[in-house]
Amino acid sequence: MPRLSRRLVLVAIVIVAAFGVSRMAPAQSKVSEVLIGSVLPLTGNFASLGQQYLWSAQTAEDIVNNDYPDLQIPLGPGKGFPGLGGAPIKFIVRDDQSRGEQARTIVEQLISVNKVHWINGEGTSGITSLIQPVVESAGIPLSCHPCASPTLTEKGLKWFFRTGPNDKTMVASVFTFLKEWPEKGGPKDLKTIALFTCDNLFCQDNRKVATDLAPKAGFKIVLDLTTKTGATTLASEVQRLQAANPDVLFNVQYPAETVVFENDAKRAGFMPKVMATSNGAYSDETWLQAQKKTNGAAGWLGRDPTAIDLAHERPAWKKVNEIYKKYSRGQNMGELAMREITGLLWMADVINRARSVEPAALQKAANETNMAPEQLIIDYKGIRFENGQNVLATGVVTQVGWDGEKHTLWPWDLATKANFKPIFPSPSWQERESKPKPAG
Amino acid sequence: MTELAQALVNGLQMGFLYALVAVGLTIIWGLMEMINFAHGEFLMLGMFGAWWLSASFGLDPLVAIVPIALVMFAFGVLVYRHLMRRVQGGDPFTQIFATIGLLFLLQNAVVAGFTSDYRFVNDTLLQRLGGARLQALGLTFAVPLLVAAGLSLLLFLALYLLIERTEFGLALQATSEDRDAARLVGIRPQRMFAVAWGLGAALVAIAGAILVNFFSVYPQVGLQFTVLAYAIVALGGFGSILGTLLAALLVGVIQSVTVVYLPPAFKDAFVFASYLLIGLLRPQGLFGRF
Repeated sequence: MPRLSRRLVLVAIVIVAAFGVSRMAPAQSKVSEVLIGSVLPLTGNFASLGQQYLWSAQTAEDIVNNDYPDLQIPLGPGKGFPGLGGAPIKFIVRDDQSRGEQARTIVEQLISVNKVHWINGEGTSGITSLIQPVVESAGIPLSCHPCASPTLTEKGLKWFFRTGPNDKTMVASVFTFLKEWPEKGGPKDLKTIALFTCDNLFCQDNRKVATDLAPKAGFKIVLDLTTKTGATTLASEVQRLQAANPDVLFNVQYPAETVVFENDAKRAGFMPKVMATSNGAYSDETWLQAQKKTNGAAGWLGRDPTAIDLAHERPAWKKVNEIYKKYSRGQNMGELAMREITGLLWMADVINRARSVEPAALQKAANETNMAPEQLIIDYKGIRFENGQNVLATGVVTQVGWDGEKHTLWPWDLATKANFKPIFPSPSWQERESKPKPAG
Repeated sequence: MTELAQALVNGLQMGFLYALVAVGLTIIWGLMEMINFAHGEFLMLGMFGAWWLSASFGLDPLVAIVPIALVMFAFGVLVYRHLMRRVQGGDPFTQIFATIGLLFLLQNAVVAGFTSDYRFVNDTLLQRLGGARLQALGLTFAVPLLVAAGLSLLLFLALYLLIERTEFGLALQATSEDRDAARLVGIRPQRMFAVAWGLGAALVAIAGAILVNFFSVYPQVGLQFTVLAYAIVALGGFGSILGTLLAALLVGVIQSVTVVYLPPAFKDAFVFASYLLIGLLRPQGLFGRF
């Protein structure tokens, strides 16, 4: 064989061998860091929510990237993702100014320019519903854990995941409690209810669920009022509520409107027998803290995703709360932050189990999730998905006591542990003023 | 009938609060014909100032009115001198974008400095009167709102006298009507504009210090009031102080009465519908002059 031909054969063998080896064992491109695109309402109307999500992201990043040997939650011990050779997690946080179109643009940039592996956000159901189609068409995972609108997981999307309970679960908790309460020594004369909700997707989903569940729980709806978000006065609305005289008021409003409502109700001397709520102000730590100075929230009951009074007993909760406080200027984790951190740590677990940042691998690992309750900082019965919804997410009912703290009322087994005597009827404004205030 | 009368009372009480917010805009936009989209942010600064003085030094917001008004007067003058004077002669769009920029700058600076948390003042003079009500003719009057209404009336009276009965006020009006003619009679227009901005900022900050007794404080709080304030000034007639007061009362009453009979979604729709109606019949507003 001529020398040239031998050389050609050798080169050909080397090329074929190299190609063959590469086909037999596809190279695991080393992941230097896992990028999470985080689109949040850091300014604008929902900024107070956005900042809690930001602090939650910082907490999750801290937990994953640093070694917390005693923290028995996903990715607590060890640095980075063991499944990815110790690669760290990095959140790329963008502010959408609480605007849907801005959120869509940001998400497109995060996917095409920043090449993120996962999108988390937006934290509010309305805007999340707007970014869902963008992420779905890009084919990477999207999660929003505190978003409670049922519709988000009822669209048949393949890339959306939510570890938190939806409004159907949580509002159902309130009505199940109200229905069962008389059998457990509660009042037997609660017959009428008024619905008082704001006008966005979150509030209206709550309203729809309540409209369906209230009659099933034995209540007659005597008034159904939808108010404008950003209302400067609710005096006439309060006037109508007063005229309708419901036994129970189902009130779903954000903190700013809740303050307007409280002032107008106080002026009118309006207070129903039961003040029931669902998220909104009831989930806002700053609102709850401020009420301690006025007894304003005493007796309000509402749905929560966890028994927050019992959570403090969990060692993991305490440690995570310490980390959270590093970022939150000393504020404790509220239930909203607990939902978000639980979700972000689940996401980290998925990435670790997938041992890859390829979308299909992440999607498969997410769908295969089966987390036990012991691995969580929240009271869910675990995490397992059906159509992107964690079917083991739960709702509890809590009530704010005279100490300004939330206490578990339902489910009954947790209520027994919490050992709290419910406040009934809801105290009048005069009684609130006359009683000692927890925060002086 | 009592329902309607009570709604009228509620609306009038709220109207006085709206008037407080709108009066600063009457000076800057109505009288001096300069656009200020950051008006709500001046209100927000006043609210934050009152909250901060209350939380840090225990100063009641009603007492804090004095230092807040002084600081915000100086701030208004600075905004005019360093920003608005430069864009004053240009296209109106330049003014719009300059003040929109200022809006975002102020809002985000407060987010950076204080976070987006909702803040609340507690145990203030007006809040201690919180549950106090006067009953007359079967109607309920909330004492804190009556006090706020009284303060609002005082402020309007003072402003009316300042603009209509003093040399300074006449100079301000002259500058607004014809800057060159005013200069010929010895008025320094730039100074008048600076004082008008200072006055506008101080007035809306005073409104903020009063509103803080009734509303939570957060960086975006100004927006909901700004939209109403613009409608009120236009409805009342540009530059008319009395018109602003009456338009604010009208807006309060429309909002309040609408909700007694219709879903709350119609509340602001009827306010702006009335603005459109009056705009069609009397484009200069209720008390405005062309």
